[in-house]
Amino acid sequence: MALPPAVELRRRNRAALLQQLHRHGPQTRAALTEALGLNRSTIGALATELAESGHIEETTGQSTGSAGRPSTLVACVPQSITVAAVEIRADRLRFALVGLGGEVLERSETALDEGADPMTAVSVITGGTAAASAEAVAAVPGLVDEGTVAHSTELGWIDRDAAADLEAATGREWQVVDTATAAAVGEWTRGDARDSRKLLYLHGGRGLTAGLVIEGRAQRGGSIQLGHIVVEPGGRECACGLRGCLEAEMEAFGFGEDFETTTLAAGMGDAAARDRLRRFGEDLGWALGAVVTATGPDEILFGGWLRELYLSTAAPVRSALAETTLPHLRSKLRLRTPVLGDEGALIGAAETGFAALFDQMR
Amino acid sequence: MLLELTGLSKRFGPVEVLSDVDLAIDAGEVCALVGDNGAGKSTLVKCVAGIHGIDGGAITVDGEARHITGPRDAAALGIEVVYQDLALCDNLDVVENLFLGREKMRGMMLDDDAMEQLAAETLSSLAVRTIRNLRQPVASLSGGQRQTVAIAKAVLWNSRLVILDEPTAALGVAQTRQVLELIRRLADQGLAVLYISHNLNDVFAVADRIAALYLGRMAAVLDAADATQSQVVELITSGRSGTLGLGADTNGART
Repeated sequence: MALPPAVELRRRNRAALLQQLHRHGPQTRAALTEALGLNRSTIGALATELAESGHIEETTGQSTGSAGRPSTLVACVPQSITVAAVEIRADRLRFALVGLGGEVLERSETALDEGADPMTAVSVITGGTAAASAEAVAAVPGLVDEGTVAHSTELGWIDRDAAADLEAATGREWQVVDTATAAAVGEWTRGDARDSRKLLYLHGGRGLTAGLVIEGRAQRGGSIQLGHIVVEPGGRECACGLRGCLEAEMEAFGFGEDFETTTLAAGMGDAAARDRLRRFGEDLGWALGAVVTATGPDEILFGGWLRELYLSTAAPVRSALAETTLPHLRSKLRLRTPVLGDEGALIGAAETGFAALFDQMR
Repeated sequence: MLLELTGLSKRFGPVEVLSDVDLAIDAGEVCALVGDNGAGKSTLVKCVAGIHGIDGGAITVDGEARHITGPRDAAALGIEVVYQDLALCDNLDVVENLFLGREKMRGMMLDDDAMEQLAAETLSSLAVRTIRNLRQPVASLSGGQRQTVAIAKAVLWNSRLVILDEPTAALGVAQTRQVLELIRRLADQGLAVLYISHNLNDVFAVADRIAALYLGRMAAVLDAADATQSQVVELITSGRSGTLGLGADTNGART
């Protein structure tokens, strides 16, 4: 049933105000008026209403040093809405409970046995908090479509309905996103990439994945299997059944540990190690060229161990990219490393949950 | 354009070290300056920094021609240089080094609180997480941390152009990566960066444009997005690459 227009409008404004505070932090009523383009009295009424429902509080701001009464700041109450986020990796499980405004209220990690199913561990680590939180989101490395993990090199899952399994283990509904997409959302909301319209995040774990977010929003189909782009037709055999995949050519299984040794050796002048690095860089650049041509991002972030790979082999990566992309696609393309580091996926998973909540409020 | 060099020339006696060099650097971008030993990279930097006078051409800042006659002139224009040897005092702590020679005073006393707060703000704006204690002496810092302090020192003074002379030359692998990320962040925050390096990986990791000097002349200035490693290597070693670069067979001499 459609709501009366006035009520509907009020709901929308309420969601917009909460979202503004959540993303940009505590601010004055005047700043809110300007940012949302609403009347001052509307903001006043909304703020009173939200303060009564316990979502926001008005605090005395820091003195700016100038004369006069310090202006009051409107801030979120973190405990009023919480989102549970877990990141599932092959060898560990990480959990964060994030409150409105982005504050991390709880944070824990646990090691997983190789090959063990993580679902029970998820229910243990989230404990009672998952049931109490408004949303629960799991970040899984691999190709994810809605709740299903179509393929994950790292976890060895193929066509697993992870959302249903998580629900069975914990007794609540879960959203499932891929790690790279989650990290992209995280970097867009809380990192340095907030001006990016089309952000491509590359994640190097065991296996390589990528996620594309547009205006900071995860898209269906934005999960990309970067590691299974063929860079060497007829090349090495990959566990996925294809030949010459980027992952197979880069020997990406268990690559993380091995990689630092290789860069160190290359730095000390080992010619074979240098040659390997150059080849890895080139392979990555070629695969990226295909992805850039297909999707046209304006910023690429190199996450996981790809950060180290990019910073150590930027010359071959960018040379290969220059040789395989159209000039207008590469001229505005920014190549960067993430600022949130390993926390990105967890923060981004929580932000995905908040984005869904704000959508429901409207 | 923030800084524009047009027809810059510099001679040491009969030796022409820089001849007719053009280069422009805008805010928000990293321009990498590459070239072989003796190509004139350091001389170019010293001309911009006011250490050497110039013998010809013009230096334009914000569209206005400027005579830079000393390091103080350069600093007044917002140009800061971080040299290879960093010029930090080992016996002083991080904050004291950042404000060395330009201490903030409160009456007759040093305003330690204000300096410490400003130092902390600067480091956090650069997302520096490697330096935990601002009051530890610089002697106890690693090479990468020292480089970070030296760069932060250059950024602290409302500088607009930061010139970095081989900032990663003496660093380990992990520290080099941190410094590269820092350099990129400087430009993303709106500063202009002139970055001198011998390491092409480092150049490609941060640069928006790559300027190649060859025997005192500007061989070419390329967009990093269009450049390939082999092109840049050719420009450094022979001054030309395909249709790019200096005219054929001049061997660096003027025709």
